Amino acid sequence: MVAASGGVPAFFRPARVIGRSTLAALRMVGGVAVFAVRGVVACFTPRWFPIQLLRQLIAIGFFSLPVVGLTAVFTGAALALNIYTGGGRFNAEQVMPQIVALGITRELGPVLAALMLAGRVSAAIAAEIGAMRATEQIDAMRTLSTDPFRYLVAPRLTAAVLALPLLTAVADIIGVAGGWLVAVRILDFNPTVYVRNTVSFIQGWDIGSGLIKAAVFGFIVALMGCYHGYNAKGGARGVGRATTHAVVSSAILIFASDYLLTTLFTAA
Amino acid sequence: MGLVVLALAAGFLGYSLTVGGVGGKPGGYDVTAKFGQVGSLAPGASVSVAGVKVGTVSQITLDPKSYLAVAKLTLDPTVKLPADSTAKITSDSLLGGVHVAIAPGGSTEDLKAGGEIENTQGAVDLFGLIGSVMRPQGDAAASGDAASAKTPAADATVAPDSY
Repeated sequence: MVAASGGVPAFFRPARVIGRSTLAALRMVGGVAVFAVRGVVACFTPRWFPIQLLRQLIAIGFFSLPVVGLTAVFTGAALALNIYTGGGRFNAEQVMPQIVALGITRELGPVLAALMLAGRVSAAIAAEIGAMRATEQIDAMRTLSTDPFRYLVAPRLTAAVLALPLLTAVADIIGVAGGWLVAVRILDFNPTVYVRNTVSFIQGWDIGSGLIKAAVFGFIVALMGCYHGYNAKGGARGVGRATTHAVVSSAILIFASDYLLTTLFTAA
Repeated sequence: MGLVVLALAAGFLGYSLTVGGVGGKPGGYDVTAKFGQVGSLAPGASVSVAGVKVGTVSQITLDPKSYLAVAKLTLDPTVKLPADSTAKITSDSLLGGVHVAIAPGGSTEDLKAGGEIENTQGAVDLFGLIGSVMRPQGDAAASGDAASAKTPAADATVAPDSY
């Protein structure tokens, strides 16, 4: 409002508005990139905090299992019903197990696990670090010569990158089990044949590419949480804004990188 | 809660690996059938007798000596088939997948586990079939000029009989 000098509202100065938002976007991209590099450097150089890492692994990995499991089982079940109905339009109901397995392992397992983690973990990280920033604990940490990147950011990044592939593996299994349950209970598939079709069809790369995606998504989720929390401004309201931004930006980045990674994997 | 999820996942994984693995297949016996052409037949396709599903195709390999495709069929143990039954690859529909239809023979002996169905009929190459109908003259139509295809009316009336 101050920028609209001379009493002219910002609305009438389109060039200024465009310029300002472009600069803000560039500053944001640059800030995230620098933050990411500093975080990765902190992950690979001493000093490490193994207790912190273990605590984050349990918080991010183990306690996300119920949420991820529930999401996966319902997604697998719904996917099975949809593919059965759609496949029925050209007499291809029988390939349903294969399509469900492919969809879960290559796409839905990693993406849904990452989205649940974005909601659950990214927000929690942003709130935690944001509150520490608001109460000046991060500055206090620095005066005690503890690098907040090594103590706060690195354990969370490492834990998310390690935990999300494991969560995705569980989501893959549970998702296929959900599809299997619907197929056997409702659609009258033979349980043995369903499982055998799935196992013989799925290749290592279907699962492997999903797990690589999951590691990237884990990095994104933790990075967004840490970045927005670390740069939270303005007390309690700033913490709230940081959590929102963390969740929204990690969700968007997950989808964008998912497309890029899929392009890469399918071209190879 | 986390432990419950892990236990469920481990349970289903174990179940899938025992059932889907190469080893013992509970409740089913295997027979083989050799086909000259399997077309789009793939593992998982169903095996039926009189349109009723009695098993699945569990494996397809190539016999390196005879160049025949060897399909391994896993059949329901309650269904005993005569030894001289015929296995035939047929389409579910014009566009859909294919399955193996078995026509039971008249022999008093039953097919045993690990036995082979001797009488087989491979997949029909639909496009080859269409091609042979579209170009009934074969070489003549291919090498001759386009004008020769536009034969006088007299020839055209004869042509359908020759199909």
